[in-house]
Amino acid sequence: MVEIGQSLLSGFASALKPIYLYYALLGTILGTITGVLPGLGPLGAMAILLSFTLTMDATGAMILFAGIYYGAMYGGSTTSILLNIPGEAASVVTCIDGYKMAQKGRAGAALTVSAVGSFIAGTISILGLTVVALFLADIALRFGPPEFFAIGVCGLILLVRLTGGSILQAFIMIFLGMALATVGVDFLTGIERFTYGIRELGQGIDFLPVAMGIFGIAEVLTTVEQKEFIQRVQKVKLRELLPTRREWKRSFPPMFRGSFLGFLIGLVPGPSPVIATFASYISEKRISKNPGEFGNGAIEGVAGPEAANNAAVGGAYVPLFALGIPFTPAMAVVLGALMLHGLTPGPNLIKVKPDLFWAVIASMYIGNFMLVILNLPLVNVFVSILKVPKNILLPVIVLICLIGVYSVNASPLDLLVLAVFGFIGYTLRGVGFHPAPLILAMVIGPMLETSLRQSLNITGGNLSGVILRPICLTLYIIASLTFIVPLVLKVIKRSRPAKPSRQDEETILPP
Amino acid sequence: MTAVIIFGFSLFYFLSSWHLKLGTAKNPGPGFIPVVIGSLLLLCTAFYLRRVFGTKFSERKTGDIAAEGGKNYRAIYGILACTTAYPFILEILKFLVSTLTVASVMLVLLKPQRPVFSFFLALGMAVASFLIFSRLLGVALPSGFLEELLFRIGR
Repeated sequence: MVEIGQSLLSGFASALKPIYLYYALLGTILGTITGVLPGLGPLGAMAILLSFTLTMDATGAMILFAGIYYGAMYGGSTTSILLNIPGEAASVVTCIDGYKMAQKGRAGAALTVSAVGSFIAGTISILGLTVVALFLADIALRFGPPEFFAIGVCGLILLVRLTGGSILQAFIMIFLGMALATVGVDFLTGIERFTYGIRELGQGIDFLPVAMGIFGIAEVLTTVEQKEFIQRVQKVKLRELLPTRREWKRSFPPMFRGSFLGFLIGLVPGPSPVIATFASYISEKRISKNPGEFGNGAIEGVAGPEAANNAAVGGAYVPLFALGIPFTPAMAVVLGALMLHGLTPGPNLIKVKPDLFWAVIASMYIGNFMLVILNLPLVNVFVSILKVPKNILLPVIVLICLIGVYSVNASPLDLLVLAVFGFIGYTLRGVGFHPAPLILAMVIGPMLETSLRQSLNITGGNLSGVILRPICLTLYIIASLTFIVPLVLKVIKRSRPAKPSRQDEETILPP
Repeated sequence: MTAVIIFGFSLFYFLSSWHLKLGTAKNPGPGFIPVVIGSLLLLCTAFYLRRVFGTKFSERKTGDIAAEGGKNYRAIYGILACTTAYPFILEILKFLVSTLTVASVMLVLLKPQRPVFSFFLALGMAVASFLIFSRLLGVALPSGFLEELLFRIGR
């Protein structure tokens, strides 16, 4: 524990350097802006800015991305409360009671509770991240290739189950992502695969233009379809920001419950911040003595979910830092940034680059503090960003994507890949595919291939030796159960006569 | 259509993967994983194709088709065309002119009423992005006479 404290202090010493403070500030501002703008979520922003991180060191890049991720969660709640427009998916739930509060003249209180809840959740989740990541990384050092293969497979399967939508489509996305990851020189034998004589493909399809195409360009094209989002913005006066004593009293327990729930959900693969907000809202409604207030401006309906989505961010960093495996698409982009800086994420990262790990942890504290300080007084400024017409905003995003991709390798082929994947991403979204599993599989794909081939080598080609190891078997059972249990529940539900359901809860469940 | 393309890609990937060395179970070759992925992808896309063609024409609502009719396809395909054309014109026209061209086209496509305003806005975007990327971030962008001039003025 003393060692953790000392390491954290050294992390603070590093994170408080002017340049890292600047990156944290930049990240939180950019994150808040992307959170405010509907359509452009933290994932898109991180993908778009991936190329810019090359001008920074790895620590700076991680600090910037952490700021964006946290900032987006804050920013999303602002428009949810003031305009009933969720800036990103994790803020959908906040619209329900947050906007009702705003209509009753309590917008300032809702914003403050949301900001303070996010700060508390951020702090709790960072503490959790510190302890759990260190513990898990220590265990993971004893893992062999079969365990890493099992974790990767389990992660992808859970992602399919929890992302929602069609399971078949999610599997297609995963296999497409893995297929793309096999392009290039085979790292074990040096033989070229699927390059068709194109020299540039020898190094494989770069993750950056694919991610920027699928999340940047495709997002722009999807936004073109939508109506203009300029709204009449409600002004919030500074003196209106303070909640009443009763509101504070009602808010703190949901904040803490949401923080713990959010952190735990953040550890699970899938869109954890989104799931965490729904889970928190439902649990708060169940616990509440006045469930009828929910949907009519209950402050618990803002405090819990807002804390939960921020806590989930900290949780999502655990598998990345401890195992080197991203469980969410945003973490896949963070992993991509680490790899662009020549770092191999995994259990060794914390041991090999402790300065990076602790500086990022410390900067998360600082970033959270900055968000509270910045966002409440500047709430009107951030909301006014919505006034920028999309016919100006969208070309700017496209230009950033184009120049950003070009700036990495100065390769026209990368730009072509960007355009192709922009089109692919847009088309796939149009027919109901979620592109997130594709990106995740593309990042995890090489790790899965290496660990499976190494596992088969170690076990002499014995597949049971790869599957029947205790940790592996447990993970495969968990992954199988996520498919079997819902099926069994469905059969049981069908065989029983239908009970009157709680309609309110069903209406807010994610699709 | 999308289902057919995905299926076609899966089939192509699956067949291509057989040209690679499979190796043995003990020592898997470079084609081992691609064959596994290709098989699974082909299987999934075959199911998907069956699902799409089994339900698409019977269940598709007329409302969906009407909604599609309202999309701004001109802007969507225009932006896509700009993104695709950019790598080809970048080396020939150099950064400023190619960025100005692409940005103007995109702005006009999104708001056709004000072409002159769009041109000047695009010019501002091109110059600003050159100064930010080239001067501030030190990115080497394709440069000609105009870029060098601007670089000198900006110094």
